[in-house]
Amino acid sequence: MEPSEVRKQLKELMVSELNLEGKTPDDIDDAGALFGEGLGLDSLDALQLAMAVEERFGVKIPDGPEARPIFASVNALVDHIVAGAQAPA
Amino acid sequence: MRIWVTGLGVISPLARGAGPTMDRLLAGDRAIGPLTLFHLAGSRVDIAAEVKDLRVDEVAPPGEEEGWSRADAMSVLAAREALAQAGVDPRRAPVDLILGGTTAGMFETETPLAELSREFLPVMGARHGEPTTPQVPHGAVPHLQRMLSHPLSSTADHVSAALGPFGQVRSLCSACSGGANAILLGAAWIRAGRSRCVIAGGVDGLCRLTFTGFGALSALSPEPCRPFDRRRSGLNLGEAAAFLVLEPEASARARGARPLVELRGWAVGAEAHHITNPEGAGETAARVMRQALDRAGLAPADLDYVNAHGTATPLNDAMETAALRRCLGAEADRIPVSSVKGQIGHTLAAAGAIEAAITAMAITRGVMPPTLGLEEVDPACQLVHLTAPRHGRIRAAMSESFGFGGTDTVLVLTELDAFPAPVSPPPRGVVVTAAATVGPLGVLGAEGTLAYLEAGPAPQPGPIAFTAADHLDVARARRLDRAGRLTTVAIARALAESRLPLEGDAASRIGAVVGSAFGSIDGSTAFMRRVYDKGPKLASPADFPNLVPSSPVGHASIYLGLRGPVLATSDLEATAESAIVTAAELIEAGEAEAMFAGSAEEASLMIERCLGPVCSGITDRGARSEGAAVLLLEAEDHAAARGASVLAKVLWWGSWRGTAAPACLAGAPGPGPGSEVILGREDERMHGVLTGSPWAEVPRRRVAPRAGDHEGAGGFAAAAAAAAIAAGTIESALLLGVAPDRGYALLLARAR
Repeated sequence: MEPSEVRKQLKELMVSELNLEGKTPDDIDDAGALFGEGLGLDSLDALQLAMAVEERFGVKIPDGPEARPIFASVNALVDHIVAGAQAPA
Repeated sequence: MRIWVTGLGVISPLARGAGPTMDRLLAGDRAIGPLTLFHLAGSRVDIAAEVKDLRVDEVAPPGEEEGWSRADAMSVLAAREALAQAGVDPRRAPVDLILGGTTAGMFETETPLAELSREFLPVMGARHGEPTTPQVPHGAVPHLQRMLSHPLSSTADHVSAALGPFGQVRSLCSACSGGANAILLGAAWIRAGRSRCVIAGGVDGLCRLTFTGFGALSALSPEPCRPFDRRRSGLNLGEAAAFLVLEPEASARARGARPLVELRGWAVGAEAHHITNPEGAGETAARVMRQALDRAGLAPADLDYVNAHGTATPLNDAMETAALRRCLGAEADRIPVSSVKGQIGHTLAAAGAIEAAITAMAITRGVMPPTLGLEEVDPACQLVHLTAPRHGRIRAAMSESFGFGGTDTVLVLTELDAFPAPVSPPPRGVVVTAAATVGPLGVLGAEGTLAYLEAGPAPQPGPIAFTAADHLDVARARRLDRAGRLTTVAIARALAESRLPLEGDAASRIGAVVGSAFGSIDGSTAFMRRVYDKGPKLASPADFPNLVPSSPVGHASIYLGLRGPVLATSDLEATAESAIVTAAELIEAGEAEAMFAGSAEEASLMIERCLGPVCSGITDRGARSEGAAVLLLEAEDHAAARGASVLAKVLWWGSWRGTAAPACLAGAPGPGPGSEVILGREDERMHGVLTGSPWAEVPRRRVAPRAGDHEGAGGFAAAAAAAAIAAGTIESALLLGVAPDRGYALLLARAR
């Protein structure tokens, strides 16, 4: 899958899975922080997003501290998904 | 007044019986092992603390085993032990029952739920309000009947059937502090003179739903858990039931009872922080500990032991340590602390009760159990931890329970007569200072709610027209499911009308009790379908918290900042009345200044199309609709001090089981000019209840034809009655909430 398509699907997934009512995929900044001051997500959202990413893209997001850089931004998540999808199963 | 604990009963993964459980705890035995009750392919965790050799036919009448759950069996066995130790027999002397539980028969019903939704709902047509006699495939009926045997209130019903009759019976479903809250409510009843003997406790059985749900939250440890350890990685789930028999000293002494310990302090408060994560600094938990000590008339220097919640999740144990340090100060370096969850796992609603029982036995035996699994204390969890049993006199001990949604409950138990008798303030009067409804006629305050008493068109079947964004900041409310949104909007409306101040410390004395008859049936069904279809690894972490019956009221407390007692009750079609009565009792006993109370029922195809028509035989129901209704109950002196306008005074209330309705209603003040009976739904049962009462002669009105013919219609009736009294159109109103084998009655009257 092309990174641009991953990005589009990921943002749609975020809006639906995290119930970001009143927001559209276009409102989500590619480079902005997802947690804390940025989009305002928290650890429960991280768990939901990790589950949804695994379901949609077949790519796992590790537990614990390793997940932190992956959840830094949409860009970081897209990189992880694209790299994971290309890696041999 | 001293409150004596005169009996203990425990069914735990370690043993049958309170004493044997304590023996094995002290021996350092661990009950956490391979999960055998069910198999979930692909689950990361496969250990739990199971109660072995439990057979439903030990307690269920022959031929009725299908309708009894493992939770019922554990409850009956534990309650029987507690009553026997106390030497009381509910068949000979009045005993009341309060049971805290979250899952009831979920283990028995979760598979049928998922199968029904997959196979039969599509056959029946998936639209609300289509023919009322659906073509249910023959094979579905046993599934449906089994499901109807296990609503949230069914465990209390089965304990009543096996050991009762009990006088008053209450089902609380406030998650992991449920058992502790049952004991707290029992204490409130005794202190206010509402009970002279109450058996209170909690139960939860293992089931696939909680197992996959806690797994989805990454809260489960794949190894035996390690409370307060640097390497702790989560909890183990367990199952148990435990009960305490509570009695006021005077009447217990008069009947020659042998006391074990005193229940001397209790408090409950909400964090209003996050649905699953505790407050990092433990401010609320510390405040609730202080309140419980205050209630007991004790200081940290009087405590000799703390039985911690200690779940072994990274967040809980650090929060609890911070809270203990905040409350105990320098005494935290003296008072030993332990958690039994390394041996019996987290038994959810049973935890608060089983740990209270263990704390009581620690006091009577003079020995504290250890924290198994703790080897290397986390720097963030520095306390006086016990890694082996410690002998020593315990004058007073604290037992702690913290639940989903942030309901923190603390109990204080003491040695007999170790401290002067506590002084009980007189019961407080209760008034209604606001009411609100969210239903077919919109979001309405008290005055608008009067419309439900007038003739008009019936509501449309199915969901009401309700746009959350019109009433809530949806960015903040994005986690709230429909029941959570209906509840929050109803409370917010009542709050706005009441002008109740919520700033600063005031919020810690304002709480809410909101229930539902069946809990989140559609949500639980969808969650389990997903688990079966896609595997436990794809269970939804965000959806799981919303399946907890106390989630709607928990979300409301978080959204609105209510920090007092936040609880959920459940009692079929009398749920709203059960919640209102519970709130009134907590205010009466001084546990809160003000409480929002009522129920929320969401439109549900599973209830409307399956449970209702097929199982309960109700086929002539009007449009079910949905909605939430709450009263704001307030201590009379609190309302007067802030100059609040009072809609009505709560003059009297009572509840009954079985055929005791006439005896209950005989205690109610009689009607006068301008009195009415105001009802939610009206059916044959209601007429039987009123037979012989002077209240049978006064005009009756009901709201269900306009509010919706659903289990929460009684909440709408209560709101409309308060509004009618405030408007001066009636002088007083008797509210009746009646369901099979049970009922509640409340009398509202014009405030003088």
